[in-house]
Amino acid sequence: MKKPFITILASFLLPISLLASSEDFFRSIGKIYSVVAVVVVLFLAIIIYLVRMDNKLTKLEKQIKNES
Amino acid sequence: MFERFGTITSVGVTILNTMKNGWWKILGAVIFTGVLIVGLTTPLRPGIVESSPRVAETGQSVDVKIKAYNSFFADALGLKAWLKISDDHVISAAAIDVISNRDIIATFDIPNTFSSKKAKEKSTLILNSEVDGNIILPNALVIRSQDGGTSQNQWTPFDIDKLHKVDNFRFPYRSTLNETIRNTFFHVAIWFAMFILLIISLIYSIRFLISKDHTLDIKASAFTSVAIVFGLIGIATGSVWAKFTWGAYWTSDVKLNMSAIAILIYLAYWILRTSIKDIDSRARLSAVYNIFAFAMLIPLIFIIPRLTDSLHPGNGGNPALGGEDLDNTLRMIFYPSIIALTLIGIWISNITYRLEIVKEKVMGLY
Repeated sequence: MKKPFITILASFLLPISLLASSEDFFRSIGKIYSVVAVVVVLFLAIIIYLVRMDNKLTKLEKQIKNES
Repeated sequence: MFERFGTITSVGVTILNTMKNGWWKILGAVIFTGVLIVGLTTPLRPGIVESSPRVAETGQSVDVKIKAYNSFFADALGLKAWLKISDDHVISAAAIDVISNRDIIATFDIPNTFSSKKAKEKSTLILNSEVDGNIILPNALVIRSQDGGTSQNQWTPFDIDKLHKVDNFRFPYRSTLNETIRNTFFHVAIWFAMFILLIISLIYSIRFLISKDHTLDIKASAFTSVAIVFGLIGIATGSVWAKFTWGAYWTSDVKLNMSAIAILIYLAYWILRTSIKDIDSRARLSAVYNIFAFAMLIPLIFIIPRLTDSLHPGNGGNPALGGEDLDNTLRMIFYPSIIALTLIGIWISNITYRLEIVKEKVMGLY
């Protein structure tokens, strides 16, 4: 299960590393990176919330199965 | 201190558990994180913001001031400029004065006559260098025909071999869209994801009518409710995008009004479900209504907007997902985004469905 994740991650990181060499007008100010960081943190927080809710539900489902 | 480590590891363990039994959930999250990073940081290709003057006359020598975006004129080797009326009618700049990376003044000696005998011709401005590749501004300069020019210059066929090509991973520059072209990955993708969720919901509704299995009805309703939320997000994001490109939060564009009607039809599905107490008739009625609503969605979103004028690409004669509106670099982020948002939508639907089942079982137990 680990290998596909690594390849997916690598395929996303590759273009970034290629682009990091040139500094154009858009990225020369550098503030877009902070925006991206904020959005990624926000999105990951929602995902972690979803993951925990998913797991709590699984526990409840198991509990109900045992009781009935 | 140790408590904090405890919560971090518990989050780690829960994520690992989710990966084991629902790897596609984490896959959606990973892909969308990648879409956010690459979609927001990849720069645009260079483009011309404005050029002046916009009108010139035949036989005149004209200094065209060009302001560009994301360009490297000062560092560029072999910077050239052309004015093009057609493939056989091109002149190259007599001189180019580089002021900065983003500003140049190109001097053109416009020939005395057109061979077409027209009163005026629209010309396209083409810049090319080793660093930037092609930079094109269509309809940059309108040339009026005028008698008695003194130019020695002649129109020549365009020599495409002279052009430098640059294959960078960059998004296309489109006037008025500019940096907002990135919204394609979020606004357009969420509509696609909504549509896929509605198809899944439709399949569950049809399967319910065939098998009368109660859980299939709950699944259909879970997918529809998440799809409605996605649709509302689609309308809200489109409204913001419209403000900055078309100039208003809501325009009389057909696609906007028709998608609003489609969302209202699905909101009625929600109201229908909550207003019926009897579980069996609720399931049957909402399944039938869901099929009807989907049958309405197709003409509302895909057919009517294509028949009339619309500002959306793919409607009213505008090219659909093709050309510069969705080139290959955009596709590389746009399609993964659809997949990621669909997976996340299925995940939320899955949680909604299971919550509903747990609720029903608890109600039955006590």
